Amino acid sequence: MRKLSVVAILLAVLFMPAWAFAQESPPAMVGTYDALADAILALKEAEADFVRSLLVYHFDAANMQHVLGHPEETAREMALFANEGDNAIAGIRKRLLDGGHHHNAAGEAEGIYERGYVIVTLEAKWAVMKASAAMRQAADEEAVLAAWRDFVEIAGSVLQPEE
Amino acid sequence: MSVQRRCRVLPGLLLLVGSVGAALTPAPTTIRFVDAGAEAGVSLVTWHGRPDKPHLLESGGAGVALFDYDLDGDLDLYVVNGWRLDGAEVVERGANALYQNSGEGVFVDVTEDAGVGDRGWGTAVTVGDIDGDGHPDLFVTNFGSDVLYHNTGGRFEVIEADVGIDGWSSSSVFFDGDGDGDEDLFVTGYIETSLDDVMQAKVGLRWKNTEVMRGPFGFEGLANRYFVNDGAGNFSDATAAAGLDDVGLFYSFGVVATDLDADGLVDLYVANDSNPNYLYRNLGGGQFEEVGLWSGAALDHRGMAQAGMGIATADYDADGLPDLFVTNFADDTCTLYRNLGRMAFEDVSAPAGLVEPTFGPLSWGTVFADFDLDGDLDLFVANGHIYPQADSVASANTSFAQPNHMLEQTDDGFRDVSAEAGPGLEVRQSSRGVAVGDIDNDGDLDLVIANMDAPPSVLRNESARLGEWLAVDASGAVAVEVTAAGHTWRRQRVRGGSYASSSDDRFYFGLGSITGPASLRVRWPDGSVTERTGMALGQIAVVTR
Repeated sequence: MRKLSVVAILLAVLFMPAWAFAQESPPAMVGTYDALADAILALKEAEADFVRSLLVYHFDAANMQHVLGHPEETAREMALFANEGDNAIAGIRKRLLDGGHHHNAAGEAEGIYERGYVIVTLEAKWAVMKASAAMRQAADEEAVLAAWRDFVEIAGSVLQPEE
Repeated sequence: MSVQRRCRVLPGLLLLVGSVGAALTPAPTTIRFVDAGAEAGVSLVTWHGRPDKPHLLESGGAGVALFDYDLDGDLDLYVVNGWRLDGAEVVERGANALYQNSGEGVFVDVTEDAGVGDRGWGTAVTVGDIDGDGHPDLFVTNFGSDVLYHNTGGRFEVIEADVGIDGWSSSSVFFDGDGDGDEDLFVTGYIETSLDDVMQAKVGLRWKNTEVMRGPFGFEGLANRYFVNDGAGNFSDATAAAGLDDVGLFYSFGVVATDLDADGLVDLYVANDSNPNYLYRNLGGGQFEEVGLWSGAALDHRGMAQAGMGIATADYDADGLPDLFVTNFADDTCTLYRNLGRMAFEDVSAPAGLVEPTFGPLSWGTVFADFDLDGDLDLFVANGHIYPQADSVASANTSFAQPNHMLEQTDDGFRDVSAEAGPGLEVRQSSRGVAVGDIDNDGDLDLVIANMDAPPSVLRNESARLGEWLAVDASGAVAVEVTAAGHTWRRQRVRGGSYASSSDDRFYFGLGSITGPASLRVRWPDGSVTERTGMALGQIAVVTR
């Protein structure tokens, strides 16, 4: 099998077209890779946009529950915002990571993100979880409002459009 | 200051310094365990693959169960066994063993007579009465088909049923999930793998400058499953219908069932390795919702998922709500989640003094119990690394076999008293499952610990007693309250927990310096209550509905 491979390479070199000896990659392959790169980057952007819309969903849901005067449900939506979704989303994230798709390897190395988080930094996550716990345990209206204000402030900075 | 005056002041000063020093130095613990070893009669070596453990399956070990299979009033012991491998050869398909307690905690092997010597690659055992006949039955999880044993009155028969997971099921628990009065079953799955994978496995993951087994990352998680009982011991899969889907296909290990939000319904908590833990709130009518992430009990105080292994559940702070303690991987802390009510939990590991003692070892089975009968709950944690290669890497600063931990509860949180707690805490094995129970019926709680490629450890409690005790044998009860001299202690029924193991289901109370008599309130699943007054202390009281 190995001998056959060597013969095949020799034959390929002998009959290679002249342009194959030029010191550049084939233009058609460059073009294909260029298009592929567009698709890869667009997919990555689409993932970030999707997670952003998930965050907006949980923010809106928290807002609705807050307006309705349901602190426990508000706290729940806040926690799901902090975690970029529920455990079903976490399962998908795990699958992506196991497949080698790591959104924030650089960030994680600097201790900024948890494995696979896309938008919410660990710092923001911790702060929202704290606000969520405060909302759940709020003893009076003032405590509810304080927890809500904290959440809105952090969520606002997380959801700010990228420059 | 004159010399004369200095002479007068110095002794006083020394006395003061001495008093402050004494106040700062905690009193020595009275908790003491001895290793009953061969004297206890438990000699079965439980096998878990090859010595170098090239596959993850060889790392998980197994569990033990303490239960009264022959209804003679003392605890018997069931030990789960795996397989012994040599390269790609199976050297021994280890049989599980049942040991009958001959009284006073000495065990005799009755496996053959009882018919419970399954030779699957065993991982865990849970105990429950599947048909309500009063005889405790067994469910054994295996790598491969699980086994349901029906206790016919001292002998067991295998129930051929489509129940369990055909794969690496890691733990299970019997509990009444739909509130219809019978035992349903939840089984956790760890990873998808095959016997071929196990046999051909080679180490290949870099860990501290050496190569060790791969995983769990890179493996697909094996879905957990839930089975409802029709009351006669026939089970059917209701995982999706009940809302108990393993939505993340996480790597699940330990599972515990208890009522966490005091609504009378039994909830489920699942420890997941390297992923957020699950908390399933029981909504009633056989329906659950997963609330882990927002409850605060899925992640640690940093918001990070940990490598969950085992679970201890009890009301450690006596506020009326059961709390959760989860064991994790090495170089990370175990986590104590304090129950704040309404399914809200807070990581209080640091203020409870649990960070430092639990950071180094790799921890598995764990139980809350009042080992010194002083009226509060202490913690026992079984430790052992998964990589045998740890022994040959000096920089790893750890080892495959590790000492276990005794963490005594004090007014300032938990204190590591392992070094003072007797020869039972000097045992060094790579331990996994733990069951707690009063094996000699003397009122204090003993321990049985499953070890890797070694016999289980039977640790007899020989602590100096700091108080009175009362035990309540109330099969089927969901909670028991003991009141004496104006103090009330509460224990809630907890099924499963620890790691892959099942503990004494009697309710044990250490009462500290309180003297009797005591009154009892026993609550049953239908909300009815049985009350007893004038109970003498120092007895195991049997209460029936």
